[in-house]
Amino acid sequence: MNMRRILKSKNLVAGVILLSILLGIILLGPLVYKVDSSQQFAGKRNLPPQWFTGEKGDNMFILGTDGLGRDVAIRLMIGGRLSLAISVFAVSIALTIGIVMGLFAGYYGGWIDIVLMRFTDIQLAIPVLILAITIVAILGPNITNLIIILGFTRWVTWARIVRANVMQIKELEFIKAARAIGAPPLIIIFRHILPNIVTPIIIISSQMIGFFILMEASLSFLGLGVQPPDPSWGAMIAEGRNYILVTPWNALAPGIALMITVLALNILGDGLRDVLDPRLKNI
Amino acid sequence: MINYIIRRLIQAVFVVLGVSVIIFFLLHLAPGDPARMVAGEYATEEQVDIIREQLGLNESLIIQYSIFLKNAIRGDLGTSLHFKQDNLDFILYYLPNTLKLTLAAFLVAVIGGLILGIIAGSNKNTFWDLGGMSIAVLGQSTSPVWMGIVLIFLFAVKLNILPPFGMGSWKHYILPSISLGFPQMAMIARLVRGELVEVLNMDYIKTAKAKGLTNRVVILKHALRNVLISVVTFIGMRVGVFLGGAVVTETIFGWPGMGIMLVRAVLGRDYPLVQATILIVSTLIVLINLLADISYGFINPRIQYR
Repeated sequence: MNMRRILKSKNLVAGVILLSILLGIILLGPLVYKVDSSQQFAGKRNLPPQWFTGEKGDNMFILGTDGLGRDVAIRLMIGGRLSLAISVFAVSIALTIGIVMGLFAGYYGGWIDIVLMRFTDIQLAIPVLILAITIVAILGPNITNLIIILGFTRWVTWARIVRANVMQIKELEFIKAARAIGAPPLIIIFRHILPNIVTPIIIISSQMIGFFILMEASLSFLGLGVQPPDPSWGAMIAEGRNYILVTPWNALAPGIALMITVLALNILGDGLRDVLDPRLKNI
Repeated sequence: MINYIIRRLIQAVFVVLGVSVIIFFLLHLAPGDPARMVAGEYATEEQVDIIREQLGLNESLIIQYSIFLKNAIRGDLGTSLHFKQDNLDFILYYLPNTLKLTLAAFLVAVIGGLILGIIAGSNKNTFWDLGGMSIAVLGQSTSPVWMGIVLIFLFAVKLNILPPFGMGSWKHYILPSISLGFPQMAMIARLVRGELVEVLNMDYIKTAKAKGLTNRVVILKHALRNVLISVVTFIGMRVGVFLGGAVVTETIFGWPGMGIMLVRAVLGRDYPLVQATILIVSTLIVLINLLADISYGFINPRIQYR
């Protein structure tokens, strides 16, 4: 893996650049733009972006204000942090569960495999969003629950890919050699098989981060995700909907933010796939 | 072949049963006393106890589940706490609306995806290809959550040519179905393009061209058939995504379907209704997957079913 090969993929380069810009804004922005995300400026509700027209200085609302007078720009940035954090944590949970399940199902086969496959079928029969909505209703909508729910409903995706790869690698020479010299199964699984399936895991994970961000946005949009006054792009879209005829910017800004972020992640994922395994070009 | 169908049918039944078990026990973890919710705020303890006995809540969970299952098979999916109505009737009232929306989005996705993919695939590396695939990459990042808003803003607010809310004329179908179907259309387009490019390199295509057939005939009659196999498989896998996305789309566009109903039921802690809805949705998905699998066996002559 050398620099030239990495640079050859336009997707990867574009994705990394775009994502870095986004991350820069989201993570570093609030340090520069010091506004409180939940402070409501009573007299200044629903202001349009004052980028070009407004007064300069400390009282400028770069992207306007929302229905309660809160600054849209800072809410976008903090909301972005939350969405990203939730997504990354949820992916970590799903990844861990999925990899472990996939490894054992793929290596041992037999009834573990059958049980896993049935469970997969069952989980896939219920659409993610619907399942997530139900569990949120039961456990209550807060950020921790959100992470747990997203993590526990989607691990199957990783499990399937890992299982398929494990079943392929299992038959290779060096695994048979390891078994011949008496290596215990756990060592074989974790020290020999696992490092070789890292590639598809990385690719899937990068695709799924974007998916989880959209899931979190959908849940927050429905009122079942991040709760006020914490900002979330989905919730901002829901609030902004009410004012779409007056100040469309309230709903459009988070919408565009969502689109660009997921787009960057998808392009990055494509780029990673191009570099790591071009065979997977068709989804 | 018949053996395969029977096996898949049994499998499907097990999956639906599994779903029902999970949903049943999940909802029983929910806080709150269903008996009290039915009885209302002003009932006395004795009245709540009587209702609890009536609802069979004093039995063990396993017995409760079997009662639930027995009723479900007979078509009784419980009564909605809020609407005091038979759940099944309620659901069947709203389900057709959701199905209409999903079908419209499905058509958008398949037809749009096929067209985009074919144009891109047959003109590989030209403007059509790169342009088409750029749209596809963009499309994969869309979600009804933000696309709906953007579409409403552009077409309903700014240009004022399409209605933003509700269900009525054929015009009401346009924005929601695009909103729901666009990401799937993008994925289908990418799939079709990839498959088409591969297929066009094969020998039998070169033979057809050598025979003197026009490009269009070659593509439509010969190459497409193989591409369709992949498309059908893909679609079968994505039914769940369509139905899940319908929830958000219905909320954005005020479409009176099962999605909105489910969200309201969940927010209102109407557990019997939630349970019934999920059961029906899952059964539907399992059925469609089954049909897709079986039809896959018919379209692809190379598959041998043991």
